[in-house]
Amino acid sequence: MTSSIEYVGEHIWAGKLGYGFVVLSFVAALLSFVCFCFSTKRSEYLSFARIIFKLHALAVVGIAVTLFFMLLNHFFEYQYIWQHSNKSMDMKFILSCFWEGQEGSFLLWTFWNVVLGLILNRVLKNTEWEAPTMAVFALVQIFLASMILGIYIGDYKIGTNPFLLLREHEQYRNMPFIQNPNYLLKLDGRGLNPLLMNYWMTIHPPTLFLGFASTLVPFAFAIAAFWNKKFNEWQKLALPWAYFSVCVLGIGILMGGAWAYEALSFGGFWAWDPVENSSLVPWLVIVAAAHTMIINKNKGGSLFTTHFLSIAAFLLVLYSTFLTRSGILGNSSVHAFTDLGMTGQLVMYVLTFVFISVALLIHDELIKYSYIIGSLLIWFFSLFYGHQKLALEIWCVISAGMTFWAYIKYFPKEKDEEALYSREFWMFVGSLILLLIAMVITYFTSLPVINKLFDLKYAQLKVQEYNDFILPFAVVLVILIACGQFLKYKKNNASAFFKSLMISFGLALVFGLTASIPLYLNESKLETYNKIGYTSILITSLFAVFANLDYMLRVLKGHIRKSGSSIAHIGFALIMIGVLISTSKKITISKNTTKQNLSELSKEFDNQKSMLLTQGDTVPMGPYMVTYTGREKVGIDYYFKVDYLTPDKNGKLEYQFTLKPKIQDNPIMGTAAEPGTKHFLDKDIYTVAYADVKTQIDSASLGKFKPPTNFVGHVKDTIFAGNAIIVIDSLRTNVNETEYKKSDSLLEVTVILKAYDSKEHVYTARPKYIIKNNTQIPGEYIIEELGLKFVFWKINPEEGTIEITMSERVGNSKDFIVMEAHLFPFINVLWLGCIIMALGTAIAILERIHQIRRRHA
Amino acid sequence: MKKLYIVAIVVVGVAIAVIMMSLKNTTTYSDFTESAANSEREFHIVGKLDKTQARVYEPQINPDEFSFFLIDNKGTTKQVVLHKSKPQDFDKSEQIVLIGKMQSDVFHANDILLKCPSKYNDPIPKIE
Repeated sequence: MTSSIEYVGEHIWAGKLGYGFVVLSFVAALLSFVCFCFSTKRSEYLSFARIIFKLHALAVVGIAVTLFFMLLNHFFEYQYIWQHSNKSMDMKFILSCFWEGQEGSFLLWTFWNVVLGLILNRVLKNTEWEAPTMAVFALVQIFLASMILGIYIGDYKIGTNPFLLLREHEQYRNMPFIQNPNYLLKLDGRGLNPLLMNYWMTIHPPTLFLGFASTLVPFAFAIAAFWNKKFNEWQKLALPWAYFSVCVLGIGILMGGAWAYEALSFGGFWAWDPVENSSLVPWLVIVAAAHTMIINKNKGGSLFTTHFLSIAAFLLVLYSTFLTRSGILGNSSVHAFTDLGMTGQLVMYVLTFVFISVALLIHDELIKYSYIIGSLLIWFFSLFYGHQKLALEIWCVISAGMTFWAYIKYFPKEKDEEALYSREFWMFVGSLILLLIAMVITYFTSLPVINKLFDLKYAQLKVQEYNDFILPFAVVLVILIACGQFLKYKKNNASAFFKSLMISFGLALVFGLTASIPLYLNESKLETYNKIGYTSILITSLFAVFANLDYMLRVLKGHIRKSGSSIAHIGFALIMIGVLISTSKKITISKNTTKQNLSELSKEFDNQKSMLLTQGDTVPMGPYMVTYTGREKVGIDYYFKVDYLTPDKNGKLEYQFTLKPKIQDNPIMGTAAEPGTKHFLDKDIYTVAYADVKTQIDSASLGKFKPPTNFVGHVKDTIFAGNAIIVIDSLRTNVNETEYKKSDSLLEVTVILKAYDSKEHVYTARPKYIIKNNTQIPGEYIIEELGLKFVFWKINPEEGTIEITMSERVGNSKDFIVMEAHLFPFINVLWLGCIIMALGTAIAILERIHQIRRRHA
Repeated sequence: MKKLYIVAIVVVGVAIAVIMMSLKNTTTYSDFTESAANSEREFHIVGKLDKTQARVYEPQINPDEFSFFLIDNKGTTKQVVLHKSKPQDFDKSEQIVLIGKMQSDVFHANDILLKCPSKYNDPIPKIE
């Protein structure tokens, strides 16, 4: 083997240190799990368990610090450092390198869990909740720690080690550079993916992962409740954590949308991409969970739903992890991550927690143990005898059945029915609708999994199809948001209730209908059901905004601290409005002007949205006149400068601004386009360019003419150039034919050439041919705009023909770009809504914490 | 709780209805032969670029039309007309997914997904 080679410059100690921390983290997680489990029965183990968990936390920090150190110092001998960074990289992207790879992002998640776990431990210290919740935390940490272990048990690989040396990695083990002891001296890393070299990659993943991690807390409480057999007390403890989840996960998801809008070229902020959906779904469920917890806190009841939703939110996060990291989405997602061969492990991760949740739900000892043993038997059977798909399907059905049966049998039913006009009834309905939307999105997103399980071939839904079916649910949800605040718990006076909402509804109707008028007047490509749908969501969202504003001002008297939920609801409704306006009224202003006849194809191929811009030409585009002035190269980035002008009242064109959509030509990663967007208060102009960055424009020979081509023709003949059609229009002469025969006269003949370009502009060339005293003087004429030079050099009066040559200028195939431009009206409403919703949830969290502290004081 | 049961049943019923309705309209992954036999329906076709044939993109004539030849997973080669501008890095693509319909022996696609090798595969470490 290569153990005899002494490699120069490697820092072996770093890898060993890091891996030592990895092993410590795993062992400590395992140990603390065992200890916390014991300490639920015997509290002597509790302080020991806490210490071990802190040790685990230290180990996790150790892993992170070691990895950072290696990144900062360019230890390219390590595969993870080599793959995700390089020497010339800007150090401000160093964090992005840390979590670009799967090992790094698992580490990020583990880190957040450790932070949350330590805080939770502190908050619950010496309560009956401490041990069981921390046991759940520790169990999750065991799984997460195993994701970076990178050990083999027989044929099975457990985890991927981030501290593997490049030369020991299975892909590079047999490469020739291994033989060179000095390979490290000239080795540079591969570098960060160019699409990730921006500030979003620094803030979006940590926020999102903190959001994911935070769903563990309500889950841990729900499980702990089973353990303690106390089903009615944990909800108020878990509520601020659930709010925290709603806030942080929501912000993380919205950041993803903002990033997509700013840096990606698909022209929007939400593509219903499977990876996007699988983070939205847990968020919808945790929002529902939080609302059922509020019902429980204020009125009691909803026991099954608080448990179910809190558990489901976390399980959906695990499912989302499985979907995104296992490679199963390969064909269907732009987010497709590399398959690290961890599919089996990820599946086990999800299924184990489903198994635990269902097992705990069952109270009857006999049935509980039958389920546990039965599940283990099915698992072993599938391991040794195959038929894994069938085993999985059967087990899922059994587990679902057990869940349903547990609900029927073990959860106390409410004695008194809820009144129709009560807040708790409608909040509950709202939570169910959120769950419904989550289920349907999960179904469609999981089509690749369903295809795999049942051997089908369903393809992903299109963006418009998702939008269409979500819309009616969103309308109902938003109406509930509007009405919810004015409903009191337990019972309401119907007429008083309706009266309180009248003003908001009236205002909403007026504004909504007025704003919708353009939809019905203009010749719009929308179907009728779309128009009605958009109008409804506009009116109902406005209703929600006004109703919550009204409640905040009239009932809460503008008391900000108590208005958290009203503000959050206003934010959510504004997001709906922002989404609605910018998707329904997104105008493609780069209308394709070719006269291509597509009538033989159906309407769905009427896809005219790109425009050709030749350098120097000024063409109309939407409300502007645009000129492509040229490309600018900065490093490996190409910026395509487009000037935007508008005519002033005299018709003269006035410069407004320049946009520079960019294409990066990365030698390793290929080309990546980034939009150029102009933000106004009331709209955004969003542009993306396609250009051929490979063809170099040789500036040295630009301007020179290529060798001429000769033409013999009559008047009315046609000559073809690369960019124009030239017609020999007529001849003008100052002598008649008879006089020409006299040899000493001055003869001048001008040929009028008319050149028609692709836009049917006409240019005229007038090369003149002179005969003076028997000397022939051919004349030249250049049409600058077309880069064509004509020389008129011979007349043949007997045949009635003339001879001219034509030369085309080099670079006549001028630099051009194909550009797509969209106008997003009022898109700032969307971003405003995001900020307001985040603020509202933050205020709600603070208020709940304040309430809890006051009660304990 | 009885009202709630009604609501819950309605909610579940709606979910099932939505899923059933969409199952009818969902496109499936397929190949050229099946698409040609069902030319009114839309399909997703997975395949590879036929590098031996011409790729035609003339933005001066129509910037939203790009023509090439695709070999589907069953080995059939057909001409494809994509009604969008030519995607970046098209020539480097390893795998192509097209969404569209077959009409008179030409596949008209209105959307495309490319899988490019350079972004995700590990190249050989460069040592100067």
